Amino acid sequence: MRSTQEQDDEFRSSYPNYNVLDKWFSPDWDDQTRKVVRHRLEKVPPIRFFSETEAQTLAAVAERIMPQPDRTESGRIPIVPWIDEKLYEDQRDGYRYEKLPPQRQAWQKGLAAINETAGILFKGRRFVDLDAESQDAVLKRIQKGDPPGEIWKQLPSQSFFEHMLLKNVVKTYYMHPIAWNEIGYNGPSSPRGHVRIWEDGLDPWEAQEEARRR
Amino acid sequence: MTQQDQIMAGWSLSAPGIHGGRVPMRDWSREEVDVCVVGAGASGGVVGAKLAEAGFSVVILDAGPHWDPMSDFISDEHASTKLFWTDERITGGNDPVELGSNNSGRGVGGSTVHYSMVALRAHPHHFRRRTLEGSIEDADHRDWPLAFEDLEPYYEEVEEELQIAGPTFYPWGKPRRRRYPQREHELNASANVLVRGCAKLGIPVAPSPIATLSAPHEDRPPCVYRGFCNFGCTTNAKSSILVTYIPRAIRAGAEIRGNAMVARITHDSHGRATGVLHFRKGSDELFQQRAKSVIVAGYAIESPRLLLNSAGSLFPEGLANSSGRVGKYFMVQSSEQVYAKFTERINQYKAPPPGGAITEHFNRTMPGVGFVGGYTIEVIGPHPVDFVAKMATGRGLWGEGLRREMLDYNCFSGLGMVGAVMSNVNNEVKLHETEQDQYGLPVSHVIFSYHDNDKRLIKHAREKMTEILQAAGGEDVWSDHRMAHLFGTCRMGLDPDDSVVNVDCRAHDVPNLFICDGSVFPNSTGVNPSLTIQALAARTADRICDMARRGEL
Ligand SMILES: Cc1cc2nc3c(=O)[nH]c(=O)nc-3n(C[C@H](O)[C@H](O)[C@H](O)COP(=O)(O)OP(=O)(O)OC[C@H]3O[C@@H](n4cnc5c(N)ncnc54)[C@H](O)[C@@H]3O)c2cc1C
Repeated sequence: MRSTQEQDDEFRSSYPNYNVLDKWFSPDWDDQTRKVVRHRLEKVPPIRFFSETEAQTLAAVAERIMPQPDRTESGRIPIVPWIDEKLYEDQRDGYRYEKLPPQRQAWQKGLAAINETAGILFKGRRFVDLDAESQDAVLKRIQKGDPPGEIWKQLPSQSFFEHMLLKNVVKTYYMHPIAWNEIGYNGPSSPRGHVRIWEDGLDPWEAQEEARRR
Repeated sequence: MTQQDQIMAGWSLSAPGIHGGRVPMRDWSREEVDVCVVGAGASGGVVGAKLAEAGFSVVILDAGPHWDPMSDFISDEHASTKLFWTDERITGGNDPVELGSNNSGRGVGGSTVHYSMVALRAHPHHFRRRTLEGSIEDADHRDWPLAFEDLEPYYEEVEEELQIAGPTFYPWGKPRRRRYPQREHELNASANVLVRGCAKLGIPVAPSPIATLSAPHEDRPPCVYRGFCNFGCTTNAKSSILVTYIPRAIRAGAEIRGNAMVARITHDSHGRATGVLHFRKGSDELFQQRAKSVIVAGYAIESPRLLLNSAGSLFPEGLANSSGRVGKYFMVQSSEQVYAKFTERINQYKAPPPGGAITEHFNRTMPGVGFVGGYTIEVIGPHPVDFVAKMATGRGLWGEGLRREMLDYNCFSGLGMVGAVMSNVNNEVKLHETEQDQYGLPVSHVIFSYHDNDKRLIKHAREKMTEILQAAGGEDVWSDHRMAHLFGTCRMGLDPDDSVVNVDCRAHDVPNLFICDGSVFPNSTGVNPSLTIQALAARTADRICDMARRGEL
């Protein structure tokens, strides 16, 4: 296990003093955007679609896809609640790969299949009980398309991994202001726009770097 | 007429004004209109507005809401999902097309509400591909039944209405007879990268023509480079259909009916269209809109789906489908994207995503490359949610590595291609056998596989984009597959046995039915399609006026 110091360094942002929410009352934020982001920050939805086991499995998977070891429980970007809400409300994406079942079924089957694969590869253990390295080993087999397990015979694992798991987890992470801070994203900008649009050009309200990583 | 006059004259509805508030609008729901347009997007808006101004009674129906740009558009990626067509579609074939946010809009303004505004004319050779390229195995690309010169005045007309901002001299395509209505936009960092790379390699590059204002026009202000163009413009600088042709249509007495999903086109025993049946939000009831002519403008998936869903005893295979071509020859454009990391800050979220620069140097059949057709190279500027999904899927990256890479989000710059794709009868939009949407209508089943020619073209483009980024100083180059823009499923042609509409976008089988959106393209060009779709719609409106004058409707 690495020290907390090492983990902090690994995800050290070039913008440690930047907080996009400081601009809440600036001309970058209009009312409708404030409303949406306030909701995102304050009204994290309850789990209504997933079973407890499914939610726990997904939380563990999400922690491997977008790890947040540097954050306390309350400081983390919530991932599972938003995916759960999408499924609870059955918000579709506008397309579904022929070989995948409707999204709700795909998620239920996929999460069960992850545990099945974990059990086969690691002596009957559940995904949540594995260490990070073993969890990654399970996910890599799924990503590669050759995970052991019966359920995957009805669900193409590569497609499920890429189009459902991966995309949804990473998109949920980067829709959060904490993620915007970390990467120095300007965030909302309405009605104010930008003037200095060239290389290294920065308007005064954009994220200023403390130390360039590269 | 003043607004007061309109209200006095019985304009009993209202629609969102583009600067907030509401404007009076006529109600045509109880009457038989001259023209009913299905879809208020790039094509529907243009044809509907022009016909209303020519004196026809017009209603334009759209499945999605009538947006109020002052309050509905949100400066946030996730919250903008509502702009896209997110009803289920099943996608298959060897190269299944990712639809949704990547490909189609829903709501008044259609896909132009969130499109990237690159406003290019097709080249004269794009209209004659079969003649110039000859027959190619497993492909069925066709000449258009019209020539560039037939569309040229209409390109000029829509460029004027949209106030396209472009350079005084644009080096590709047929030389322009007039300059662009507005001056070119400033280049952003990603556009500078393209220019730098091209200059090093000796590839000609130019400012890009873009449909957002660089100077005030009428009641709309110039672009302030917010960079949220793909999520709806909150300042009205962007020349979407919502803020250009739609207000014109309303002023001329058209009704724009949002949240109205057309389920079927009805016809009489003589095979003439009589109107449409549609659902309205919050009701399971089917409403009828009677019309003397129907124009379908729902884009290349919904248009054929609607025709197929309108099958009846006279038209057992679907309306206007005696040729069996409705839904066939579905095409996209290849839109591979390539990214690289730079030592400078690029901040790709700033300014319109096309950045302001373009090269059409490869937009032609090139000798010795092993494929026909060409492509443009454009600048792109994804925000983090979109960008991370590309990086994760394009590189198969996740975990600590992905989160670390994303810390450099501000240093990435990207290029995207818009490439011609061969048409093939096996690529199609058909009705799914079992799945239905929220209205109980069969959903679309979209089948697509690339032709070998397409794959070679994409490879060439990926290599060129990589070279350009590297020449500009980029490192760690990676790419992501993407397809964009939809065509071909109601193709136009001279032969009624081999095409769905004629040169005037009139259905061969149903004299008072027109289809005038992206689905009529007989081949995909090497340029972004909207301007051509809009020019074609503008021409169709004029042709309908001519036909009406001659009593041919
Ligand atoms: C992210 C993105 C970026 C793009 N960038 C560019 C670009 O830079 N340049 C360019 O030239 N093109 C671009 N395009 C493509 C361009 O937006 C489309 O090609 C163009 O808008 C298609 O015009 P259309 O009239 O055929 O359909 P649309 O503009 O999509 O309009 C169709 C409308 O019909 C409605 N509709 C469909 N079916 C029904 C029904 N049954 N009942 C009622 N209403 C219905 C829909 O709700 C929709 O509003 C982009 C597209 C996307 C998605």
